[in-house]
Amino acid sequence: MKGVPAGSLAEQEQPAPAAPDAVLRALADPHRRQILRLVQHTELPAGRIAATFTLTQQAVSQHIGVLKQAGLLTERREGTRRLYTLHHESLEPVRELLSEFWPDALSRLKKAVETAHPQPQKSSS
Amino acid sequence: MTAEIRNDVIVATEHIKAPPEVVFPYFTDPALIVTWIGDRAELDPQPGGVFSLDMGEALARGAYITVDPPYRVVFSWGIPGSDALPPGGSTVEVVLTPDGNDTMVVLTHRGLPSTHIGGHRAGWEHQLGRLPAAAG
Repeated sequence: MKGVPAGSLAEQEQPAPAAPDAVLRALADPHRRQILRLVQHTELPAGRIAATFTLTQQAVSQHIGVLKQAGLLTERREGTRRLYTLHHESLEPVRELLSEFWPDALSRLKKAVETAHPQPQKSSS
Repeated sequence: MTAEIRNDVIVATEHIKAPPEVVFPYFTDPALIVTWIGDRAELDPQPGGVFSLDMGEALARGAYITVDPPYRVVFSWGIPGSDALPPGGSTVEVVLTPDGNDTMVVLTHRGLPSTHIGGHRAGWEHQLGRLPAAAG
């Protein structure tokens, strides 16, 4: 996989590539997932994001911070405002992990079945 | 073991050294299913019967659609409270094909929300119970 070209937009902070771990931890909170949904197709200022929550602005800022750290949000400054949007590429590691869900499950199935029902070794076939 | 993801479909295959008769109950017996997926299950393996699996914090809810022992089982799969993947929102088809004394398992998960965040959201919600550990 190639890295995201850096520094293409002077005013834009490109998130650092994050490990699936950091991404998953960031996603493990329903409020943070809600934030990502809000900025999935659009760019919003922090205030607008906070306004959709019953949480304090501080709490929302904290969630935004975690998402930024995980590379899930791209931040752009416009005057005094900070605008956020989803950084789609950072979901790629998660997609890769998800793609392993059923194969992983089936290899556990294989292990479970073959442990419980060992077959006699065949000499050759 | 292989997997293929194309848009809203995941296909995973596995070769198991046991006949379909042995493998099949691992998809229908709560005590057996939790040996490989989830930690708590409520299963009523008949068409319309409940398919309910807890994987840590993550919950999968659905119903059996087809139960044809020992070769084929289809159940729906979804996440409570998810608009992207509601309970019963996608289907998992498992086909067991005899291969000598062994079984080829082909699992097809259909109707996943399409790629990118819409899809991942559902994924996150049903995965989050286990993925952090798996990733760690």
